Amino acid sequence: MMDGPRRRVAMVGGGITPFGVRAATFPELIQEAGARGFGSLPNLAPEEVDSLFVGAAQPERLAFQSHVAPLVAELLGITPTRVIQRTELACASGQSALRSAYAAIASGLSDVAVVLGAEKMNLPDMAEANTSMADVLDRPWDGVHGATAPPFFAMVAQRHMHEYGTTEDQLAAVSEKNHRFANRNPTAQFQGKVFSREKLRGLPVVAPPLRLGDCSSMTDGAAMAVLVEGSRARELTDTPAWLVGTAQCSTFHNLAHAGPLSSWEGLRTAGKELYRSAGLGPGDVQLAELHDCFTISEIVEYEELGFCRKGEGGRFVEEGQSDLGGAVTVNPRGGLLGCGHPLGATGVAQAVEILDQLQGTAPSGRQVPGATVALQHNLSGSANVHSLLLWRREN
Amino acid sequence: MTPSLPSSGSPGVGAASPVPRGEALSSDRPPRREDPPDPSPLTLLDFYPPQDPRWTRIAPFFQALKDGRLTTTRCSRDGSLHWPPAVACPKCHREELVWVDLPRDGSLYAFSEVRGGAPLGMEGGVPFVVGLVELTGAPFRLFSRIVGRAYAGLTLGEPVRFETFPVRDGRVFYRFRVVDTPASP
Repeated sequence: MMDGPRRRVAMVGGGITPFGVRAATFPELIQEAGARGFGSLPNLAPEEVDSLFVGAAQPERLAFQSHVAPLVAELLGITPTRVIQRTELACASGQSALRSAYAAIASGLSDVAVVLGAEKMNLPDMAEANTSMADVLDRPWDGVHGATAPPFFAMVAQRHMHEYGTTEDQLAAVSEKNHRFANRNPTAQFQGKVFSREKLRGLPVVAPPLRLGDCSSMTDGAAMAVLVEGSRARELTDTPAWLVGTAQCSTFHNLAHAGPLSSWEGLRTAGKELYRSAGLGPGDVQLAELHDCFTISEIVEYEELGFCRKGEGGRFVEEGQSDLGGAVTVNPRGGLLGCGHPLGATGVAQAVEILDQLQGTAPSGRQVPGATVALQHNLSGSANVHSLLLWRREN
Repeated sequence: MTPSLPSSGSPGVGAASPVPRGEALSSDRPPRREDPPDPSPLTLLDFYPPQDPRWTRIAPFFQALKDGRLTTTRCSRDGSLHWPPAVACPKCHREELVWVDLPRDGSLYAFSEVRGGAPLGMEGGVPFVVGLVELTGAPFRLFSRIVGRAYAGLTLGEPVRFETFPVRDGRVFYRFRVVDTPASP
């Protein structure tokens, strides 16, 4: 992020709806998230909220509703007087809302901001929903060939296997870990199912080499977080999560310009800027919420964020280095693989998980002991944009 | 300035071999038994007919497709080759562009198969193969449907060749077909 005078920003509370195939509409999911978010902050009155940032990727197509920010404000009983807006950045729409709130608070435009992410993806006709996924790619040139995310990330996996020897069993190791964490998260889409590597490798193929267990799902859900200017933080919680670094990088749109699929230059660039902006390095990070839309994504992310050397991501997960007790615990929430991926809600839910982790209130079996620095990553589209946040607890 | 009409003499990164005009645009031979079925009816996910000059400034691209040629724009100022075709150069932002031919031959840089989750109008076409084609001599790859062989028989680096095929409403689009290579003696 730009260096220079700016105010400190902290996350003080938040909440997450159950994720899944929900018997609930887009506005109902938003209300559930509002109840949980405000419920986490008994000392915050709705009239103190001066700004609202809504993350939603495709409400126009999936819920046939645009101009959703004032809808959210009304449902939450808030009347923003500084900033009200919605951010769209496909799969990173939620983090984009968090970054916008950060910018507004750091600059002095806002003091107390609500960030709400929501998506309703399960429709009676799923081909209709799938069409909305094809237009995340360059629709007239790439999406038009009938591709959505799975075949693109399948090609990433194919090239990574070809160049670095990554195996299907290493892909399954990511899914096994994240589903195991999801089983201890009551808001996760997938509950009470044990996914062993052997079982995962027997699931149907979606886009070879990716199987069902390698892919995140179409999910309904919402999440809310509250960000405030630093001097307000202790009035609202004993343990705020301080936003100490952020970075973003966009490198292409049409797949013609994707470059080597197995390396994500944009994430490497954003990662370096993130660490520089916070004066920290990958070795300082104890937990990371990484965008595991597909198992291969998490493996490439370990590498580009410097948790392991290039090409060794498969071995990193296989050896338990991204599990509890490893070098960095990745996706203790359950990840997108275990929690599901309601596009606009995902980034906000990751942030709320990080707040729980830094406060030490995550359930046993998921809590990262003594976590003080947490990294949050979201990619969007065909991994052509990478968005990063670094959160820190002060002792 | 609108990009000029394709001129047969414009130098491209690869020379297009002439393909006769006509209705049978899809290939120079009839479909064979082992060809995966074409997705039908193929939709281009368009809300209006963008191949029509009443709707787009890159109609020459689609006219060239109808002539069996794969073209794009090149900036006459900085020489950069664009994909997709542009009306202003994304690099220097000048509008003086020319149409040039792209290579017709390439190889599979990566590929997968869509087995489910296809968009509206394509659900009946699964499974189908898609891939990134390394165009011989071009500075970018093209994402496309890959036809002519089933997924299981494909390998990285497989030679493929550009072809066009008719789409409903009288439109035309492009894809790549696996080049048959004779068995080694």
